[in-house]
Amino acid sequence: MSKFIKYPLFIVLFIIASCNDILDPQPINLQITELALNDANDVGPVVTGLYAALRGTGAPTMIAGDFTADMVTHRGTFTQYRELGTKQITPANAAITALWSNLYNTIYSANFILERLPDITGIPAAQRREVTATARFLRGYCYFIGVNTYGDMPLVTTTDRNTNRNIDRTSREEIISFIEQDYLAALPDLPEEPASVAFASRGAVQAALARFYLYQRDWAKAEQYATDVITSENYTLVSEFVQLVQQDFTTEAILELGYTANDDPGTSATGLNNLFVGRREVIPSNEILDSLYSAPSGDRRRTVNFDPALLRGTDNGFIVAKYGNVPNDLENNNIVLFRLGEVYLIRAEARAWQGKINGAGSAEEDLNVLRARAKAPNATAGTQNQMLSLILRERIYELAYEGHRWYDLKRTNRVNQVMAAFSRNWRPAYELWPVPQREIQSNPGLANAQNPGY
Amino acid sequence: MKQVLLICFFLFLLLPLPHELLAQRAVSGKITSSEDNSDLPGVNVLVKGTANGTTTNANGIYSLDVPAQATLVFSYIGYVTQEIPVTNQTAINVVLRPDVTQLTEVVVTGYGTQERKDIIGSIATVSSEKFKDIPIAGIDQALQGQASGVQVTQSSGTPGGGITVRVRGATSVSASNRPLFIVDGVPVEDGALALRDFGGQNDNALSTINPNDVESINVYKDVATKAIYGSRAANGVVYITTKRGKNDSRTVINADVQHGIIDPVRKIELLNATELLELQQEAVRNAGGNPEQLGLISGVTDAVNTDWLDAVFRRGIYQQYQLNARGGNERTRFYASGNYRNEEGVQLNNRFERYTGTLNLDHKVSNKLSFGNNLLLARTKNMRVKGDNFLDGVYSGALKSLPFFHPYDEQGRLIGPSDPAYPSFPNFNPVGQAILPRFDTYTTKIVGGIFADYSFLPELKLTSKFSIDYNGVTEDQFEPSSTAIGGYLLGRGYGVYSTGTYSTLINTNVLTYTRTLKEKHSFNILLGSEILQRTERTSSVTGQEFPSDEYTFSYIASAGVVNQGSSFLLKNGLVSFFTKVNYDLADKYLFSITARQDGSSRFGRGRQFGFFPSAAAAWRISGEPFMQNFAFVNDLKLRASFGYTGNERIGDFEYLGTFSAATYSGSSGLAPSRLENAELQWERTREVDFGVDASLWNGRINITADAYDNLTDKLLFDQPIPSTTGFETVKGNIGKVANKGFELGVNSINFDGNFKWSTSLNFSRNLNKVIELVDTLPIFRGYTASQAGNTNVVLPGQPLGTFWGLEFLGVDPATGDAIYQDINGDGEITDQDATIIGNAQPDFLGGITNTVSWKGFDLSVFFQFSYGNDILNFTNTGLLNSGEDLNTNQVREALKRWRKPGDITSVPRYEYESTFNNYHSSRFIEDGSYVRLKNLTLGYRLPPNMISRLKLNNARVYVSGTNLWTLTPYTGSDPEVSTLDGSTTAQGIDFYTLPQVRTVIIGLNLGF
Repeated sequence: MSKFIKYPLFIVLFIIASCNDILDPQPINLQITELALNDANDVGPVVTGLYAALRGTGAPTMIAGDFTADMVTHRGTFTQYRELGTKQITPANAAITALWSNLYNTIYSANFILERLPDITGIPAAQRREVTATARFLRGYCYFIGVNTYGDMPLVTTTDRNTNRNIDRTSREEIISFIEQDYLAALPDLPEEPASVAFASRGAVQAALARFYLYQRDWAKAEQYATDVITSENYTLVSEFVQLVQQDFTTEAILELGYTANDDPGTSATGLNNLFVGRREVIPSNEILDSLYSAPSGDRRRTVNFDPALLRGTDNGFIVAKYGNVPNDLENNNIVLFRLGEVYLIRAEARAWQGKINGAGSAEEDLNVLRARAKAPNATAGTQNQMLSLILRERIYELAYEGHRWYDLKRTNRVNQVMAAFSRNWRPAYELWPVPQREIQSNPGLANAQNPGY
Repeated sequence: MKQVLLICFFLFLLLPLPHELLAQRAVSGKITSSEDNSDLPGVNVLVKGTANGTTTNANGIYSLDVPAQATLVFSYIGYVTQEIPVTNQTAINVVLRPDVTQLTEVVVTGYGTQERKDIIGSIATVSSEKFKDIPIAGIDQALQGQASGVQVTQSSGTPGGGITVRVRGATSVSASNRPLFIVDGVPVEDGALALRDFGGQNDNALSTINPNDVESINVYKDVATKAIYGSRAANGVVYITTKRGKNDSRTVINADVQHGIIDPVRKIELLNATELLELQQEAVRNAGGNPEQLGLISGVTDAVNTDWLDAVFRRGIYQQYQLNARGGNERTRFYASGNYRNEEGVQLNNRFERYTGTLNLDHKVSNKLSFGNNLLLARTKNMRVKGDNFLDGVYSGALKSLPFFHPYDEQGRLIGPSDPAYPSFPNFNPVGQAILPRFDTYTTKIVGGIFADYSFLPELKLTSKFSIDYNGVTEDQFEPSSTAIGGYLLGRGYGVYSTGTYSTLINTNVLTYTRTLKEKHSFNILLGSEILQRTERTSSVTGQEFPSDEYTFSYIASAGVVNQGSSFLLKNGLVSFFTKVNYDLADKYLFSITARQDGSSRFGRGRQFGFFPSAAAAWRISGEPFMQNFAFVNDLKLRASFGYTGNERIGDFEYLGTFSAATYSGSSGLAPSRLENAELQWERTREVDFGVDASLWNGRINITADAYDNLTDKLLFDQPIPSTTGFETVKGNIGKVANKGFELGVNSINFDGNFKWSTSLNFSRNLNKVIELVDTLPIFRGYTASQAGNTNVVLPGQPLGTFWGLEFLGVDPATGDAIYQDINGDGEITDQDATIIGNAQPDFLGGITNTVSWKGFDLSVFFQFSYGNDILNFTNTGLLNSGEDLNTNQVREALKRWRKPGDITSVPRYEYESTFNNYHSSRFIEDGSYVRLKNLTLGYRLPPNMISRLKLNNARVYVSGTNLWTLTPYTGSDPEVSTLDGSTTAQGIDFYTLPQVRTVIIGLNLGF
């Protein structure tokens, strides 16, 4: 009888022995969340992950700032860019969803670090302070972009899933003060000279604060932080404007989202090189070309290239060159968040509002620093209004396709006037992007909370 | 582990019952056929109720030691089984009668076999006879229109391309809905193997298996027949049995040659250059612009008029050669074959080539021990082209491209991105896109197994089997600088080289115990264990900046920039125990219980094991005395089954909350990738089936009908969550999907004798409905859609595959603008007005085959039909776009557009850059019902005197045509379409999808 049992018994033992091997295989390229940030060695990689998340917000922010405004004409096939280009924006727009998701993705990573870091031992105090400051600065930056794009938004300060699944909008004012707290808390603990401008530094927070107070119309503080950046001497204007168009990590960059050939955005639907150069999904609008080719723009016309072979039909033949000169330019994909040129413009505007129009320490002085670099004639203005309008035009020349235009138009209350002239489809509702359709549908706290007009 | 021990204990309980040793006596005899008195070799002779038996030799002679008072059972496939009691005879000669009822046909039922009449459950069988003349590429295609309850849709006319198979509807939203495909006991890969997406049309792992080597395909449809596959069975099981040697000694060699031509079934009619230009000018003027400023100048712009479809289509050539041999004696049997197939696609440069070989052996060492193997080898070369929603596709590019450009310049050279005459984005030169890139996919497939049977006792048999399914895929791709990606986008070429191996190792052990007590109580008990491990290894590398377009520099060795390299390993497995008990009381009351315990690596600790039981019963009414008055009823059986099956086919490690690698500016780190759900577990389907099997008038009419009611709960579901959580989905077990249906199969022999006419009909109706989701919020799927969010929705109360969009009410005769239903009544048309606008699932479907033979001629006519399914003609969002852009050609229906006040039409006004008239709406939903002459075959078998002169055993010539005729209201290129190959929630979308092809072949079959 025993032989009838032996083999089945052997089989059963064999199976039990192989059970663990078969049922619990080792994952590849995955780390369990509980183990991701457990000791001092984990901190570096997780902070890198935070920056990778932040980089995901770069292109959508640029798209919000320039595609929503009068900077581009659509000529491609993607629905999201057709909607933005022809001003027929809907809450289901993929670019609108992408920015929202990527902002909250970054905020999650920042909150994750802020929650876990206190429990980790063996980290030098300086590093602990720096990592905390980095997380707070980047979180604040995400809310700054978010609140200026969507208006009131959910204020997420924890990684707790249940809290964040049902969360309603917090008023713009509260978000603004939250951003200010994050920025100011981060300021002292970030290094003066980081390893690279791909990472946060004290200068980056100062520049962010300068922009923040400019938006808040707190001119004195805006000027102060701008001056801090300019006088720190950590950054110098490049001598030729075209270097900004064609190079990564120039001497005037303050914070720049870095891509290497390994992780370049390639042909993705949000890859800026792909949108501007590869597919030419959008092309510069004729209105902006007029500005860039005007005399005060000077060298800054090199923001765009012209290829006569492309000139046909609805195509004006121009190409935005700031994200690579050639299709799939592996060398020039970085997205600049803050650079010295913008800081000069912030200070000029803040000074103009404080009545410092001409002379030493004036708006005119700052403006002409950029004019001189662009080999354009000096600007002169008699009145505050003239100076302000010069500065706003200067921002087009200097900052075209860096994601500022729509935000500038909004904060100076000119968006409806300018945009209605640009497109017959423009509606005042487009002062804000809609809350993405999928968020309204999946978050009970956002039910009936869509921005007006969508 | 507790469960394992339980099963262990169960195994021990199976102590063999004592075997009575009685006086043995030799009996011998000869078996002949009643048809022509020929000797029947290979007839099974068995002492009833035991495993003691033998088979007849080449001359029909057998000899067997028989205990006293035994009954001998003589059985042979295709013949009526006879039972003869042995009293004191020493010679028993038997004349066997052919069986036309198919009742005694032996059917593979998972880990064992059963005679058809004893099966308590729903199995659809498709024998090789049904598809031997049809030039199908894969075994999944063989099922189309042949089995009730089985819906087979070819996603496109791409050779070797994707095919969707659904058994009794779709049960899942997020997990796979494909049935489990098993070849000779080995679960094989299904779906796509290639790593790179080609815009919609994938390759197909099942097209590596040569249908000519297949003996039969059994589809297990109800829980009684499939519960033995437990956690993988919810979507049905397709069991493929390959050909094996027969017990006769003569070796039969068969050669089959097929040659044919392939054309698309339909060519969409597009505007010519002048018509298009006129339309574009009108669109610009309607938008208040000046057409000439945009370069739309009559006589100049339309100076060229290229028919791009003609430019990329060709007539494909098809050829296939098959040579096989089968034979054997009572100890050793074999089947061996070789096959070469070469099928040209109708698009330039598209080709599917395949070499296959098979060797199946069986050897009997003694009455106790036998062993054997099965081995399928295949090598395919698939020359693919891009398609569907790829702008740089071939067919898609040809449909979209403006007729204003030439494919070739005056010197006959292809116009590329560097040429000023290149149409440029988003129109590329589709002829160049077909000819210039190299997208070669090489697949190596091995399905092999080796098994041994050992009978401890005549009643108790152990089968052990080790098997492998190995798939190796190499993709060798290069897009030179003269193409859209390699040139227009990237400048100097783009190369991708990737490899993937997907292998599954399986060990199966099955113990079967068969015994009949007191002539009335038959038991068949099966106990088994299986361990399965699947390993997936993939790697890929990308190169750019090639020195030239020459072949010699087209590999990544020459690339200036090598980037995006990666390698990956994935392992998953199952550890299972299963049992099946059949009990048959007096051949009238049949009972069966099946259960499987599966442990899966895809779930967390504590959730790994799932238990899937089923029970079934049948009553053979025809066996009751009161039925003797109804002599025309040969067999009538009522049956019912109830039980649970599961689905575990989701990705791996989805229950874990994880971080994965992320890079930033040259440093690498970790970024959050998934939220955890430790509670994640099996999707479970509760199934109920009632059926009736009837065989009437000596098998002239066979009917099988089934009604079923299945409910899937604990749906494995990617639940959308707000991204304020930092994530967009979390995998959960949420929701319920129901499938209820009715299916009918009828086979009849209408005329018998010299003129023979038989009909085979199958009909299926399945009602699919999402019963419950996490909440009442719709889940969107499919493509993003203008002002509607998405093209598809998953919504409680609605079936899967529901289309979503605005309700199009018509065109305002006064303004020419589209009128949409303002559902929320706010006076504006927004995405809040989107609603359900159609469904892709058919109300019913089926097939009917009529076969007529007379003398040497045979004719088979096979129609297939589908009724009530909607198609989303998403192609027309580009080809009938109301002026949204001027980058695409338009279909001829655009000539019906609104032009002036008072025009009554269904095609809105064209206005340049306006999206309003092109919002995603029911304007793009069409009825996709169809009746199709799927195949027509006419054959002629050469008469015996002729073939004997030619020293042949048989010879047949035939012509066969597929997709010869289609009746459909659908205006797109073909109603049998699915751009998202294999998708359930977004099926039936036509998005520049290559239509089906019409194949006409001539074939010659020779037997030696």
